[in-house]
Amino acid sequence: MTAVDLTVIVVLVIVLAVFFDFTNGFHDTANAMATPIATGALRPRVAVTVAALLNLVGAFLSTEVAKTISGGIIREGPGGVEITPTMIFAGLIGAVIWNMITWLRGLPSSSSHALFGGLIGAALVGAGTGSVDFGVVLSKVVLPAFLAPLVAGLVAFTATRLAYRITRRPVGKNQRGGFRVGQMFTSSLVALAHGTNDAQKTMGVITLALIAGGFLDTGASPPFWVILVCALAIALGTYTGGWRIIQTMGGGLTDIKATQGFSAEASTAATVLASSHLGFALSTTQVSSGSIIGAGLGRRGGVIQWGTASKIVIAWFITLPAAGLVGAACELIARAGTIGLVIDALLGAGVIVAIFVASRRKPAEQSNALEVDVAMNSVLTRQERRARAKKRGDEMLAERRRMSDESSLFEMGADDAVDVPAEGGSR
Amino acid sequence: MIDWGAFVVVALVSLVSAAALVSLYAAGLRLLAVEGPVRVARAGAYGCFVVCGLGVLFGIYLIVPAFHGG
Repeated sequence: MTAVDLTVIVVLVIVLAVFFDFTNGFHDTANAMATPIATGALRPRVAVTVAALLNLVGAFLSTEVAKTISGGIIREGPGGVEITPTMIFAGLIGAVIWNMITWLRGLPSSSSHALFGGLIGAALVGAGTGSVDFGVVLSKVVLPAFLAPLVAGLVAFTATRLAYRITRRPVGKNQRGGFRVGQMFTSSLVALAHGTNDAQKTMGVITLALIAGGFLDTGASPPFWVILVCALAIALGTYTGGWRIIQTMGGGLTDIKATQGFSAEASTAATVLASSHLGFALSTTQVSSGSIIGAGLGRRGGVIQWGTASKIVIAWFITLPAAGLVGAACELIARAGTIGLVIDALLGAGVIVAIFVASRRKPAEQSNALEVDVAMNSVLTRQERRARAKKRGDEMLAERRRMSDESSLFEMGADDAVDVPAEGGSR
Repeated sequence: MIDWGAFVVVALVSLVSAAALVSLYAAGLRLLAVEGPVRVARAGAYGCFVVCGLGVLFGIYLIVPAFHGG
């Protein structure tokens, strides 16, 4: 490979890595901000702004960048295979495309698993089956995908039960509306933790690509511009707000009340912090989804949409192979040399644009951030759908304002009468 | 292959810390709802919120590596 080729590919990797960082940001806004938006603790625009700022700050806070891209899944480094910039490029395309597809479907899936998947696919094609340590894949990706939601769900379930138990009042008004204030803090904690974790991954990828291209010395720390660009990309992505995923997490899984939202985010924060400091890494996305389901189960009368939940779980388990397939295909094409790289880049750009265009046909805006399947499944003309969505959005906002204070359970309308004896009687 | 010990520790620590934080905050809210002579209850409630705040600060301490040397 000539020096010019190498420069071209390193530039491509950087551009793609920054875009991956952006998708990572909007994919994960929901982890922190779905519940406060759903309970009315924060207005949607305020919530994503706060999350974006915290991600920006978080990206600068932690300067320790991973020494390996794949965390041991690929036998990289001395004695193992060499990860070429081409492989990183192919892997990134796989990760980005999978992130876009899951976003289009409104499914929260782990961005790091998508990145691992893409890299694994590219490494299998580029360096043979010996390059991937499948034991590590099992222990770092597959098993944690089972365990993370279980642990988080159990923690959130317990926390929610406790919260309802402690705040219940047989007679008189309770103060559960106050949980919305607490939600701001717990959600912000999750957003900050996300910024310190996830921007690092992209910085690591860019730094390793620069090292592989000979632009930095081995073991160099990322230059300041890399940190700046990554921080801005993840913050911008977060600010753009993956409304589709926020819809799923905030309303699609279960109807979240302030008490549950607070418990769920507190559980997410506790589990994520414990896992990152006590040596058993869990995916933030999976922890967050598990917490929301646990909190949903913790409220009496809470209903979980298991259909949506199982779609999410299926998405988790095909994230790795799906991103891997795309990564492998891209690596195959890229082996044709520079022309292959150009074809890859064009194909990738084409798919991304196509997904974006598809997303505009079924827009998911903040006004109907809580409207889930109904709006998605309707087959109306565009104008009708817009008018309807606006009307519904307004109604939903009004309804949410009326319902958001949990203390008002006793004054609920006639259609909620079934819930009142169980809820009001015991609490 | 998989470090079950670390996993159990993570699960227990998460459970205890989340339960403690949520219980404290909930207790604070419950104390705010007390009727009658409220001075002691109010003080207790704000005490609960302060401890919760300390918990959040500890979370920030854990998140920022500069505070605890990596």
